[in-house]
Amino acid sequence: MADLRFVAPTTIADALGELGEEGAIAVGGGTSIGLLVKNRLVDASKLVYLGRVRELAGVHLDGEARVGATTTLRELSRSAVVADALPVLADAAGRIGNPRVRSLATAGGALVHGDPRQDLPPVLLALSAIAHLASASGTRSVPLSEFFLGFMETACAPDELVTSVSVPLDPSRRAHYIRYTPGSEDDYPTVGVAATVSVAPDGAVTAATLALGGVAEHALAVPEASQLVGGRPDAGAIRALGEVAAAAARPTDDQRGSSGYKRAMVEVMTRRAFEACLG
Amino acid sequence: MELRFKLNGEAVEADVEADTFLVDLIRLRGLTGTKEGCGVGVCGACTVVVDELPVSSCCYLALMADGAEVWTVEGLTRRDPALVDAFVEHEGMQCGICTPGQVVSAYTLAREHPGASEEEIRTYMSGNLCRCTGYVSITEAVQAYVSRG
Repeated sequence: MADLRFVAPTTIADALGELGEEGAIAVGGGTSIGLLVKNRLVDASKLVYLGRVRELAGVHLDGEARVGATTTLRELSRSAVVADALPVLADAAGRIGNPRVRSLATAGGALVHGDPRQDLPPVLLALSAIAHLASASGTRSVPLSEFFLGFMETACAPDELVTSVSVPLDPSRRAHYIRYTPGSEDDYPTVGVAATVSVAPDGAVTAATLALGGVAEHALAVPEASQLVGGRPDAGAIRALGEVAAAAARPTDDQRGSSGYKRAMVEVMTRRAFEACLG
Repeated sequence: MELRFKLNGEAVEADVEADTFLVDLIRLRGLTGTKEGCGVGVCGACTVVVDELPVSSCCYLALMADGAEVWTVEGLTRRDPALVDAFVEHEGMQCGICTPGQVVSAYTLAREHPGASEEEIRTYMSGNLCRCTGYVSITEAVQAYVSRG
């Protein structure tokens, strides 16, 4: 594509200026965009590479965990801060793809790409994360529960940039992510299930969340997880939630499994994820 | 568009398109050790090192490497001949197509996990596919390399 341009701004302001132009698309690590460009699946006039924008990189704690948009999966999986505050995120990031993907793929890219099969969206959704967006006309924050709109469609407008994603800290939160890959370990999962449970000192559940990947047009939160709040969930309560999750899923048949199989796996993996949180 | 980077330690200037991929740039410069296998970043045959990290050069936009240090199998094996010795000694290859990628991944693995266990090796190297060997000899070669003195 001779008319395709590539720019590498070094500040958020310059990046937003570039993205304000018609036909510009942001490139984080390029693991997805590279493939889309290669296969002529994007219609873009300009690639805005974000790898030189230092303000977008890194993880910081300031009452919450703030993950810069260009933080790579490798950095997430190896960050002492993430391992300590959000071990489920470190664990999930360290299992995605292969080392070559993790060298480059970014947290922001995983959100904006909006691919329903990816792992970080359900994990961050279950962690009640908030996406922070900027454009030339200002900034706004969108909870992930309102961020994913459809298959590869998100609330991020063409002239907007996800600058970071923040996760509320909760020392009483236990979280678990289960993914099942039918082919090789580095494949996209057939189903991914992320669960969190916050537990009071007396053992009562004070908050519970559940999010599913791979079984709808986008990562799917299951608000009925709050059924677990208030008590000490027994096997029956967890099993019942598994059934609710299976009913909420709307999977389709594809090469990674039939819709019926995926639905059955949602039930099993939801149960196992909550058992792991409460075990 | 102009691109300047270091390739196997030597400064390089190239004129590339926005959608030029690193594998093509490298191979057109005569460094044909790097292979394009699947073309979608899965098989690992095109693995090169950019700023000490492994990447799939088949889907890595060349312009992202501006200012970077890129090492291919040719440069890495010149830098560290023990890499080649380990694969030769343990016959960690058969047809050879995947071998450059296996060698480059062994290099980054050894730096990321010195003295890695067999399980760590198998996990790390699982993104480098081989359709000949059954992986045992490759794993042995990598084990020998990462645990060398």
